[in-house]
This record gives sequence, structure tokens and C-alpha cells, in this order.
Amino acid sequence: MPHFRSIRNRRARKRLDGRNMELNLTSMMDILVIILVFLLKSQASNTSVFIGAEGAEMPYSRTPDVPPDSLHVAVTREYLAFQDQKLLYFNSPTGAPPAPAPKAPPGTKSHEPEEPLKLEIRKEDLDDGGRRITPLYDALVQAREKSELLRAKSGARTDQGEPLPFDGILAIQADKRVPYDMLRRVMYTAAVAGYKTYRLLAMKKEE
Amino acid sequence: MFRRPSKRRRSAHAEVGINLVPMLDTLVTLIAFSLFSMTFLSVVSMDSQVPVNSAASFKDRMDQRPLQLTMSEGFDATTIWSPFERISKVTVPHLEGGGGPDVLRIHSELVKVKQKFPKERQLVIVPSSTTPYDTLVALMDAARLLDNTDPPVFQKNEQTGVNQAENMLFPEVVFGNLLGDT
Repeated sequence: MPHFRSIRNRRARKRLDGRNMELNLTSMMDILVIILVFLLKSQASNTSVFIGAEGAEMPYSRTPDVPPDSLHVAVTREYLAFQDQKLLYFNSPTGAPPAPAPKAPPGTKSHEPEEPLKLEIRKEDLDDGGRRITPLYDALVQAREKSELLRAKSGARTDQGEPLPFDGILAIQADKRVPYDMLRRVMYTAAVAGYKTYRLLAMKKEE
Repeated sequence: MFRRPSKRRRSAHAEVGINLVPMLDTLVTLIAFSLFSMTFLSVVSMDSQVPVNSAASFKDRMDQRPLQLTMSEGFDATTIWSPFERISKVTVPHLEGGGGPDVLRIHSELVKVKQKFPKERQLVIVPSSTTPYDTLVALMDAARLLDNTDPPVFQKNEQTGVNQAENMLFPEVVFGNLLGDT
């Protein structure tokens, strides 16, 4: 009879509400702990402090060396940056950032030619016969002087009691299509500013 | 006459359970933090020193005749040579269809040189001005790394007197035309 059934159901529901319903969280805890351990492990194995420069597509390399932290220059298809600070834009007569290129409609593939890029720098930003990039040189010298000052103030000394010498390491992160001509200018500028070791960065190629 | 059953046995056990909810909250927060602070890029590096002029005079260098292994990358071929003619010049044409340098062949030629001069560690690379960065990295990989499939290169350890297998080809790569105009 429907009338009685209804009362019975109501009673049964009441009994259920009274019972302490608890979700078993132990299995979820297990999953989360495993995810956490996995994340911490992969974080510990990747000690590189460099992040990809905006708009730069880095090449791949099989070398196993992971770069330690150092001063770094980024050369993309659009700009040159030192320590994430944009110093100049290429192919810009005024030095201002170029207007963004119109986006291709979704679903279409870009047909960029695979020939090397032509990156021009304003004449005002070059000296020493076009080999030295002035804004980069200024930034590099400033960074070197700051580092030397910090080393002079720090308590760490060599065996002769001198402050630790400037390491002169510069990491170079470049887009894969940047021509050697531009990299040579960057390296030449760094050499003149007192940086003796270049650390060319690439993405790790998985074998 | 039956005794009355014990109440102790029949009494409901109070369920003891740890409250996992705060621990769950902590784990979720930690996972979110780890995901945000994680870098998914795996960056590697290749070091190169600034080229320096040798302190030895030209006459001394002519007498010593160092290998000074040089790899010049041109527009249509790559040449492996020694300015003091310690090895015969090898020219490796670029891949057909504008494929760039034939990295595999360049690598095998460099392995042959390494087998002749196992103590040599330096290579001078002279790229052309239009060489893109990825080609440069590929050439440096070919010049620096020894593969498992390469013939072994042994070098005598001066301290132990035992021959040891080399694990690098020419790890010290220097850009030869960095300071010059060529």
C-alpha cells in the first residue's frame, strides 16, 4: 500500500541520517602522497634555474651538463635581453618594440622560410666597427662591477687574502634561428666587458 | 538458570578514526605549490672559452707544430683541418636540399682524428656568419660528445699507467673567428 510504504521510507531515511556517514579518505591520501613524492623528486632532479625567454625557440642538445646559475643574455627573434631586461629590439629603426604581427587564423599552419633570420641593430647601438653592442656592454660592465663590489665586501678570500675573482661566466640563450653573426657580436661584447666563458644554452634532447 | 549476558561485549565500540581532512588540505596545497614552482624545461649548456693568442712565438709554434684542430663551416661544406698540417684536410659537403652540415659524417671524421690524437681536447670552430644557432649547437654536439656506437678511444692514465676509455671527444670548443672579422 502506497501510504504505508511512504511512512516506512521516511523512517528508513531518518535512520540513515542518524548514522554517521563518512567518506573513506585513506585511498585518496595514498594517491596524493604518491603525486607529491613524484613532484618533489622531479623538482630535485631539475636544478636548472633558467627559464625559456619569451618568444625564443631553443635548439636541442644531447649534452648532459646542467648549467648552474649565472648572468644570462637572451637573444630572440625580436629583442636582446640581459637578466630578463630587454635592452634593444631588432629591426626597429626607432628602437621601440615592433608592432605585433597579425595572427594567422586558427587551423592554418605558418609557412616561415627556414633561411637564417636577418637581425639588424640600429647604428647608434653599435660601436667598435659594428662589433660591440653598446647597451649590452654597459649592462655587462655594470653587472661585473656590482659582482666585484659584492666579492670585495664579502668575507670570502683567496689563499693570498684577495677577494674572490670575478668568474666572468655569461650564459647565452638564443632562438634556434638566430644567426652566428648576432651571437658573435654578443660574445665579442661580453669578451670586451671581461666575460671569458660563454655558456651556450639549449634544451635537453631525450634519447 | 541462564545468566544475563555481559553488557561489556554488547556495548557499541566507539570508532576511533584520525581526521584526515586537514592532512588532505595540506597535501593538496603542497601539490599545487609544487606544480606552480616546477620548471618543465630541461636546460643544458655547453661551455666555450674566449680564444686567446698563444704566448709562444711563431717560430716556436712552427717548431712545436700543435694540432690546433679546426672545423670551418662554409656555405656548402664543412672542412676539418690543421693549420700546421698535422692531419690531411677533410671536406664534408652539406646535406642535399639545404639540409645544412652533415653532422654524422663530421662526427665520424672527428672520431678518427681523436683516435690519432687521444690527448687532444680542444677544437677551434669557425662558423659562417649566417650559421643559425641550432646548427651551431648540432656541430658542437658532434664535436664534443662520444656516442656509445663510436669506436672506443683510449688514453693512458699517467698516474696509474692504465689505458682508460675517453668519454668526450673534443670538449673544449673555441670560436676561432670571434674576435676577428672573418
